[in-house]
Amino acid sequence: MHAYIVRRLLYAVITFFGITVVTFALIHAVPGDPITFYIGTHGQNVSRPALEAIRHEYHLDDPLPKQYLYWLSGAVRLDFGRSTIDRRPVVERIGEKLPNTFELNFIAFLIAALIGLPAGLWSATRSGRPLERSSAVFFFLLYSLPAFWVALLLMQYFAVRHDLLPLFGMASDQAGAMSMPQRLLDHVRHLILPVVTLTYAQIAIFARFSKSALTEVIRQDFITTARAKGAGESAVLWRHAFRNALIPLVTLLGLVIPSLISGSVIVETIFQWDGIGRLYFDSILARDYPTVLGLTVATALVTLFASLLADILYAVADPRIRLGEGGR
Amino acid sequence: MSASQSMAALTWSRFCRSRLATAALVYVVVVALVAAIAPLIANERGVVPFDPNATDLAHRLEPPDSQHHLGTDDLGRDLLSRMIHGARVSLAIGLTATLISLIVGSFLGALAGYYGGIVDWLVSRLIEIVLCFPFLFLVLGIVALFRPSLWTIMIALGLTSWTTEARFIRGEFLRIREMEFAQAARASGARDARIIFRHLLPNAVAPVLVSASFGVANAILTESALSFLGLGVAVPTASWGSILSIAEQYIDFAWWLVLFPGLAIFTTVAAFNVIGDRFRDALDPRSE
Repeated sequence: MHAYIVRRLLYAVITFFGITVVTFALIHAVPGDPITFYIGTHGQNVSRPALEAIRHEYHLDDPLPKQYLYWLSGAVRLDFGRSTIDRRPVVERIGEKLPNTFELNFIAFLIAALIGLPAGLWSATRSGRPLERSSAVFFFLLYSLPAFWVALLLMQYFAVRHDLLPLFGMASDQAGAMSMPQRLLDHVRHLILPVVTLTYAQIAIFARFSKSALTEVIRQDFITTARAKGAGESAVLWRHAFRNALIPLVTLLGLVIPSLISGSVIVETIFQWDGIGRLYFDSILARDYPTVLGLTVATALVTLFASLLADILYAVADPRIRLGEGGR
Repeated sequence: MSASQSMAALTWSRFCRSRLATAALVYVVVVALVAAIAPLIANERGVVPFDPNATDLAHRLEPPDSQHHLGTDDLGRDLLSRMIHGARVSLAIGLTATLISLIVGSFLGALAGYYGGIVDWLVSRLIEIVLCFPFLFLVLGIVALFRPSLWTIMIALGLTSWTTEARFIRGEFLRIREMEFAQAARASGARDARIIFRHLLPNAVAPVLVSASFGVANAILTESALSFLGLGVAVPTASWGSILSIAEQYIDFAWWLVLFPGLAIFTTVAAFNVIGDRFRDALDPRSE
């Protein structure tokens, strides 16, 4: 057990360095003077000696590996430098947007799990029957819907045509004058369309994953054994199959979180939700390299932690993993 | 079923047993054909008698009618003609990006599965690293920072989505590398490269085609998202996503601009997903 967790932690550290190397290499493969990386496009009006001074200050006259080490030593302390837009520390800017994205993603994750998991488990027990088949097709279609199109259709129907929900934003302009419950309701109304847009594809992921997990379990010998010893079908499902099918679901953590963060870029941009997805998109358009770099590393780290957590939970729940038998 | 029936024929007949999958396949072929001959059918003298880029300000933002079957956009360009040409962009990007990820993924997966040991360890770590990045963050970053163009998009998509293929090929190689035919090749003195590419790869390729089908679907979806966000192919070129990004400004009345390009993306992506899903079942001997 300990050996497994130690190995997994070691891999996570290696992966962390890999993440920083890949991000750093990508940014430095971008054509153009790396000086814009630190001071933005205002750099064009700076005099030559001043540029040299900045170059020296940021170690840009050092060889690339050395530059990487300087940047890394900051990154491990979560110091990603200052934004080239407003000169504020990148961490501060990420920090103030993070709660908004977390709120959106957490609700979407919860709803997707609450609908997707039972739907997937249900369809595994009805495998091959007409209703199950059409539900499988339905989930496939759900998964194939482009998020931005769904967003546009929802906006067109609920906001423009019927004026039921706000078009975008996180609160109404008059929110400041509202009482507390009114303001809460207003916020919930603003949440609905972005959450729906973010959720529907995740429902399909949850459903498909839980279906194949349970199907996999039902095929195994111990289920046949349970049936052979005379256990009723519902006892086989509830007592034997479900519990074992839930274990692999923890790996979904490492799968769904990056997909939610990816979706945040589209959803937050369309609905003008003030989170990190929109911050990332705006920073890319403004070529605010320190923010782009910081956000890329930060989100990759979140995924890394999620999959690390998932692996450890998996090992705790399933002895075959930690004893190395299934550790392919 | 006769024992002499080849694996391919067996898979094909199982595939065709699903009417939905067969319909999806036919649909994809039709869309591909239309895309291939787009310049022939959608020009001033074609079946769809409008140039995709010909502006006509007298007829801007018109709903579908007998002349413009799917309506016109903000510059009076014919929507149907633009969508037919847009199919070229979407499919070209989807297929090329998938081909790139197939080549990169197969190569790395084959190395990892064949040699094992340190090579396998390195490839597995690389996969783990790539999977940590939120897919769209990475693609958006690469495309925007290296200037959006057809090739940047295809390479960005290809270089970020090869991990699935690599894992499939690696798994297959682990399974078949000690089989008799592989040992026979080794015993006859074949070099590693020959064993990998001539003997093992053809036997490992089937499950990868499944992930390739999903890959095309994902690439088309991502390309349209990039174009929608304004980071797709350069402006005059029509793409399904870029038409939708125009639609966003006229969302209050121009329903046709929102509906039709979105339907095109959705149906094509769904068709590729259905094909991949059915293909996977057809390959799985346990499924029936």
